[in-house]
Amino acid sequence: MPSLAIDQVKVGYSNLIILDDLSVEIPEQKITTIVGANGCGKSTLLKAIARILKTQKGAVYLDGKAIQLLPTKEVAKKMAILPQSSQVPTGLTVYELISYGRFPYQTGMGTLKVDDLKHIDWAIEATGLNPLKDRPVEALSGGQRQRVWIAMALAQDTEILILDEPTTYLDLAHQLDILLLLQKLNKEQKRTIIMVLHDLNHASRVSHNLVAMRDGAIIEEGTPEQVMTQSNLKAIFDIEATMSTCPFSNNPIYLSYTLSQSTKHMVQNKKSG
Amino acid sequence: MIDKQFISSYQQNKKKRKVYTILIIILLIFISFMISMNTGYIRLSPLQLLETLIGMGTEQQNLILFEFRLPRIVISVLVGMGLALAGCVLQGVSGNPLADPGILGINSGAGLAVVLFISFFPSTSDVPVMFLPVLAFIGAGVTAIIIYALSYKRGEGISPTRLMLTGVAIAAGISAAMIILTLRLTPDNYQFVAVWLAGSIWGSNWMFVLSLLPWLLILIPYIFIKARVLNTLNLGEVTATGLGVNIEKERLFLLAAAVALAGSSVSVSGGIGFIGLIAPHLARQLVGGKHQFVIPAAAALGALLLLVADTIGRWFIQPSEIPAGIVVAVIGAPYFLYLLAKSKA
Amino acid sequence: MSAYVEPSLEVKKKGLKSRPVIATIILIGGIIGLLLAIGISVSIGAAEIDVRTVWSAVFQYDSTLVPHQIIQETRLPRVIGAALVGSSLAVSGSIMQGMTRNPLADPGLLGLNAGAAFMLAICFAFFPGLPYIYIILFAFVGAALGAGLVFGVGSLAKGGLTPMRLVLAGAAVTALLVALSEGIAIYYRINQDLAFWNAGGVSGARWENIKIMASWVILAILAAIVLSKSITLLSLGEEIAVGLGQKTGVIKLFGTIIILILAGSAVSVVGAVGFVGLVIPHITRFLVGYDYRWIIPCSAVLGGGLVVLADLAARMVNPPQETPIGALIAVIGVPFFLYLTRKGGQPL
Repeated sequence: MPSLAIDQVKVGYSNLIILDDLSVEIPEQKITTIVGANGCGKSTLLKAIARILKTQKGAVYLDGKAIQLLPTKEVAKKMAILPQSSQVPTGLTVYELISYGRFPYQTGMGTLKVDDLKHIDWAIEATGLNPLKDRPVEALSGGQRQRVWIAMALAQDTEILILDEPTTYLDLAHQLDILLLLQKLNKEQKRTIIMVLHDLNHASRVSHNLVAMRDGAIIEEGTPEQVMTQSNLKAIFDIEATMSTCPFSNNPIYLSYTLSQSTKHMVQNKKSG
Repeated sequence: MIDKQFISSYQQNKKKRKVYTILIIILLIFISFMISMNTGYIRLSPLQLLETLIGMGTEQQNLILFEFRLPRIVISVLVGMGLALAGCVLQGVSGNPLADPGILGINSGAGLAVVLFISFFPSTSDVPVMFLPVLAFIGAGVTAIIIYALSYKRGEGISPTRLMLTGVAIAAGISAAMIILTLRLTPDNYQFVAVWLAGSIWGSNWMFVLSLLPWLLILIPYIFIKARVLNTLNLGEVTATGLGVNIEKERLFLLAAAVALAGSSVSVSGGIGFIGLIAPHLARQLVGGKHQFVIPAAAALGALLLLVADTIGRWFIQPSEIPAGIVVAVIGAPYFLYLLAKSKA
Repeated sequence: MSAYVEPSLEVKKKGLKSRPVIATIILIGGIIGLLLAIGISVSIGAAEIDVRTVWSAVFQYDSTLVPHQIIQETRLPRVIGAALVGSSLAVSGSIMQGMTRNPLADPGLLGLNAGAAFMLAICFAFFPGLPYIYIILFAFVGAALGAGLVFGVGSLAKGGLTPMRLVLAGAAVTALLVALSEGIAIYYRINQDLAFWNAGGVSGARWENIKIMASWVILAILAAIVLSKSITLLSLGEEIAVGLGQKTGVIKLFGTIIILILAGSAVSVVGAVGFVGLVIPHITRFLVGYDYRWIIPCSAVLGGGLVVLADLAARMVNPPQETPIGALIAVIGVPFFLYLTRKGGQPL
């Protein structure tokens, strides 16, 4: 029984339906990455899993229970969410922001108990933020900030981590840095990680499981070997790719690519993912 | 391990510094309190003040202190706290540093109620003035409900941006209505309304203190308990949901608390606007962004600011006086601008 | 504060499609409509005067006829004043929204109206009976004072003039200047006089005032049209404008001067009328697209029309009493603004 299952969901904004009758299961203790073109509905799927968007039909099941019916604080003890862009409130130190991750476990005025402190210290340790922990968050660079947000999610002490494009706006080194951190967390802590990534090669390199989407439906789902094929890339992105193998992970990657004939629809894109 | 202990003691020190900052503000309130008691048309020396306070004053001294000055001072402190906290909550809920109780139409709604009252009962001496705060409170509440209803969208609930914009629009509409009404007033009534709208602490009477106190006694602890929720709301909707906050519910309750606080405050003080905007900002500058500290600091700063403003207003052009709301803006705005120019992001 | 960043996205989404045909229609239709409205407005009043008399009063003025006098001395200056005020506010709002890329930018928001009103209070309190030619100059100075404070504080800060900071500074400066004006007004007991000046609309307009104001306003609007192409580029973002070879500093400086003149003149005639500067640019953009070469003239015409109609309504709602023009515009403006906020989430 997978801890997280999406069953025939219909999701959208006011009148615009993005996903209809979509089902997928997220394997436990694995890294699952959702990939696809802009506007394919991958962020929407992620938000539905994270109960940010309500399902109009169907349901997301967490440990066999419909997530909308569970108390939101209980869900927060099982899954943490990292949005694509977060507001950085002014005047907060790294330590303080990370300590907010303990919210679901606190009551009343919110004084931090020993258990809270332990988790916060561990999260800081795991993300290597010790030297920065008394700095104001505004003063950090993009990569450092992303680490802080991840640390906050870790302090939340959940089995499941959900991340929406955690590497966007970071340079090459910092992108990999974040991904390797996630990989380490998965390996050492057995956390289930679900994320959206734009970079296919990165997705292939760190994921156990890829979910490829197009126009609100799942095109292919499986291991990187199964999903990262020339024909699939054409079906997902309308590109002709030359494939190769990653020397570090031995997973398939694309070397370079060209547009296929039917790419015109990309020019007039609908809603950004 | 040694390192870790050192760092946690560093955290402790920072916390202590914040607590000290708040204590210093409270001390300043106390000093202003003493000065304010001594300010007015009839001066009382510190010794006389002390004598009167311990019950040994003359009848005239008793009258001045206990019937005029003390209630007014207490009201300044309470109103300042109420408005500052209302602003603090609104800024937290909306994620908008510009939010101010005025945005929710509280000042304009209360003002409209007062203007209507004076239009229908032109001679204020005929009707008990005691009635004004009740009316002002109703006006504020009704306006807030209208704004909330107009910015509610089915399926999406309340978006803070929509709430603010609706508030701005409704406040503008009410101001327009008020202009029409005020032009028909007699010059004396007009002067009364103008002074009311500018925010003079006119309700200086123990009864007003009693009408204000229950609200504060219930709502301030409630807001303290919600400090953690305000912290998470600051991180954006998605993150807050992820942390297990029921955003819709919390927003509604917190907004209602802010409206009640600001409405009850404005009803006895008149239209004082700037404190709700500036006190939370100053608090954040002094004690950082955590609401566990921001809330008490903002409350103390609001009280201090209004008390000082009211005292200056009384002292400045004796025996006549300047409404405290004006003094607040004249002192507060330049300082706020200075902070803005100094700020980094 | 995504509200303040949104317009650029909106621009990208809709493309930079300007609609010259619609814009031309609006411009021509608007001018005809404006002239018609002026004609109607002139003939309606406490004394009904038929259109033919209006015509002859304008083109064959005979100072011995009472209707001709009424038209020439009170109605015509008033109507033309209304049109000028509307155009000034609308154009200054357009330029501000384009330059700051803030859909909420409005002369009221950035402290200009408050500054001009503050100077008016000073005029009333310390120099009662000052001729209008000086009052309008005071109003310019006031608008400049308000804007100068806002922009000055905004740009003193490290990291420069962000939209957020601009709005915050605007709110604080407005609060300060309003408080000072209120203080002066209460202390000198000129509150109701000021309110009458502010709310009485354009009824007090005289030829000699209107002539002074008209020359300022027309010059400023022409300058705005000259500048409009650069404002379009600036509305796409500072970096893009620089990349396209614009001297953004110079454009902003001229833009600001134009705004100051327009807002100052308008406030000196009718006081702080809100919403025209906010709503008209939005309607205009909705109709003609995002090219400021069209937006500026069109919003001048539409803004003039709105205020002329509001002034007409102000006289007709409750004659012989006059309803404050600002209040009437708010009656139209508030529902419209609410509609915008509900429809888009953002007013764009």
